[in-house]
Amino acid sequence: MRGGRRGRLGELGRAIPTLLVAVCLLDTALRFAPIDPLTFRAWEALTPYRPSGAAFQPNRRYQTNRSYGDLTAIGNLRSLRRYRAEAFTTDVLGFRNAAHVLGSPVDAILVGDSFAVGVGVLDDETLASRLSEPGDCRIYNAGGEAPGAGPDRILALARHLHMRHRLVIRLYSEDSEVPDIPTAWAMTTRRLVVGAPADARRLFGRLRGILTVSPLKILAERAWKTLEDDRILPNREAGYVVRGTLYNGDTMLFLTSRVKRAYERREAAAGYWKWLGDELRKEGFDLLLVLAPGKYTVYRPFLVSAGPVGPAADDYLERLERESRAAGVSVLSLAPVFRAEAARSMADGKYLYWPDDTHWNARGVALAAGAIREQWPRLGTLCRDEPLLRAQKP
Amino acid sequence: MLFNSFAFLYIFLPITYLVFWHLRGKSPRYVWLALSGYAFYSFWNYKFCALMLLSTVVSYLAGLGLLRWQDPVRRRLCLAIPVAADLALLGFFKYANFAVRNINEVSSWLGARSTLPLLDIVLPVGISFYTFHTITYIVDAYRRVITPTRDFAKFAAYVSFFPQLVAGPIVRFQQIERDFETVDRADRTADVNLAWSFFVLGMVKKVLIADTIGAVIDPALARYAELSTLSAWLCVLGFTYQVYFDFSGYSDMAVGLGHLFGFRLPQNFNSPYQATDVAEFWRRWHVSLTSFLRDYVYLPLGGSRGSRLMTARNVIITMVLCGLWHGANWTYVVWGLYTGFVVALHQVISETWARLPLWTRRVGTFGHFVVGLAIFRSTGLDMALSLLGAMFAWRGGTGIVGMKVLAVALCVAAASAHWGPNTFEMRHRWSPAWVSGLAALFGACLFVLYGSRPAPYVYFQF
Repeated sequence: MRGGRRGRLGELGRAIPTLLVAVCLLDTALRFAPIDPLTFRAWEALTPYRPSGAAFQPNRRYQTNRSYGDLTAIGNLRSLRRYRAEAFTTDVLGFRNAAHVLGSPVDAILVGDSFAVGVGVLDDETLASRLSEPGDCRIYNAGGEAPGAGPDRILALARHLHMRHRLVIRLYSEDSEVPDIPTAWAMTTRRLVVGAPADARRLFGRLRGILTVSPLKILAERAWKTLEDDRILPNREAGYVVRGTLYNGDTMLFLTSRVKRAYERREAAAGYWKWLGDELRKEGFDLLLVLAPGKYTVYRPFLVSAGPVGPAADDYLERLERESRAAGVSVLSLAPVFRAEAARSMADGKYLYWPDDTHWNARGVALAAGAIREQWPRLGTLCRDEPLLRAQKP
Repeated sequence: MLFNSFAFLYIFLPITYLVFWHLRGKSPRYVWLALSGYAFYSFWNYKFCALMLLSTVVSYLAGLGLLRWQDPVRRRLCLAIPVAADLALLGFFKYANFAVRNINEVSSWLGARSTLPLLDIVLPVGISFYTFHTITYIVDAYRRVITPTRDFAKFAAYVSFFPQLVAGPIVRFQQIERDFETVDRADRTADVNLAWSFFVLGMVKKVLIADTIGAVIDPALARYAELSTLSAWLCVLGFTYQVYFDFSGYSDMAVGLGHLFGFRLPQNFNSPYQATDVAEFWRRWHVSLTSFLRDYVYLPLGGSRGSRLMTARNVIITMVLCGLWHGANWTYVVWGLYTGFVVALHQVISETWARLPLWTRRVGTFGHFVVGLAIFRSTGLDMALSLLGAMFAWRGGTGIVGMKVLAVALCVAAASAHWGPNTFEMRHRWSPAWVSGLAALFGACLFVLYGSRPAPYVYFQF
């Protein structure tokens, strides 16, 4: 058995390393190719190569008619996909705005996660666009930086904008974690990143994308997931998603981790929001915190089989709203509006969230924008008004 | 870092290989092997490198002591201290919380109100293997089977040699010392084809057979209470082949990687499913562990030198320890008791057993292992009882998703395991057509590695 003769065994000793090198080179080469055709929505296409400090690749236009929900992708549930159009435009700073927004006076900056950015909706259906609609208001959409931009990033961004009024609207979605107050070291690091030359940040983003995104892997995963269809092979991803049935018989998907979380009591601390408000106030900015309910919070009462909710495990947003208000933060919760509207519109088979996605749809975004304007009328007058008065309460 | 990961295949292995063969002389190669072993280990958790270093240093110093001192008291100290240190490490990280849980259960049963808090412990991967490496080194040095080395780099390279670091085989210093001695004269090209042959076959066993079976049975076993009798048997049978192809595949890859660096690691699986009695089975299964237990536990306990009852006791103690080695769970203890009892029973009826037809003995030997694995695979005693209940009392229930794939995988696995040669029996002289076939299979493995989530080796958890 001991070591073979080179002549006859030599083939395998060359063939396998050659194969490994070939696949490695192919993998590397494909990393330089555009990944848009391999993605199902803008988020996947535009975030991996984003420069540091930006949410997306700058100056990009992503358009597809075959976008579908993240939950069907996470749970590999092809049959439950709902295809839709998505048009996604980014500006020179790497945020989801039309190019002309940068040239105009800006009244407020909207920051937050993917709920603020808008997922599965067209550019003119995002929350920033809806809030800008009624008059001359201009809301700059700076959403997309998970878990949310800190004051340093917001202020750095504001320096690039022509700010007519100094207002920051921070959308906090219930499904995400409240960020920790960063340490001095973390703040210094962030400032260094934000202050780095644009070319260096772009190069870093490009390198990060090349290192982390493998088109070959995406293709292989797609092929493999086709096999894991619960017929040929068990669908191992299905457990990440819960299929709920509403009273009207429609199917609604939820992320399993979010469903589990609904039955746990979460700490509703306002420390971060107070700190953020104070930091912004030092630079003359006001903060409005908007609390967006998660999909399960809104639709759980309408599910045929919803698990029991433990004592006080269900009022996270209400507690967070109370705590934040007590800490002097201007805060507005969208939960009551969404619950009421969900009950009303479900009878017509209309929803506020995509049934196959964690995010709200265009109807939900419009409702959120309407609720913010209605419950915080100051925003409506802001755009025609003198600079905003401080610390207004909704 | 797994052998079947791209970080290993594209980065770690090429760098380690090229630098190793670029270096000349023993010491640089020892140092490089030791460093690469620590780098490999740090991919799991760099903090645990300190534990491995501690175990290495203590055993190395004890080895020097055994070289220097001849009086029995000092030699016994040189034996006891490192072995105790290794067992303490193993005991703390692997069994502390198991002990706490059981103490709490007993005290609660006795009516005590307070409970001990569970410790926040993460089991360092591979600790069961590298501590056994150092134990064999010290015990063999104490018994004068080997001469301890004065070269720390050499010893560190032996303990942290990455192919066998995290899941064995448990290589004794004696088995690999010669290769370490001649490491400076090793020929890079001599075994390269043999090395890749082992590696490819191991990868195919792991990725295409074991992981495919696992992809079907793992979701089914997660719903064990709903399984029908047929499904329960198929799941346990599937696990029987999964664990064999997983671990023997890993061992083959380790052997292949050893050859790439000029080291011949010992055989760990010798076609165990072709064994005709349980004693033979355990001589063929996880050879490096069972021989360790034989030489360092069973024989010191008295082996088969005493009465039948004493022999049975020794066998059962050894197998229970074997079970506990696999993990801190009562299922492993019960599995060890069951296996020990079967081996002891075989010693009583061995003559009668030998007169049975060959196929009966093979099926019986294989069957005992299958039943044992129902306990072994279970996460708790309730699952074990449920699985065994489903297997031995007819009941309806849910089927298995992916039955066709499972059937094909089981047929391939069974044909290979029961009738095929093992990798050490093969000649590894492949014709161009076979080379193409193996390359295609390796390509299929790469596709699976790209497309699916990496499946850790079953034995990593031990």
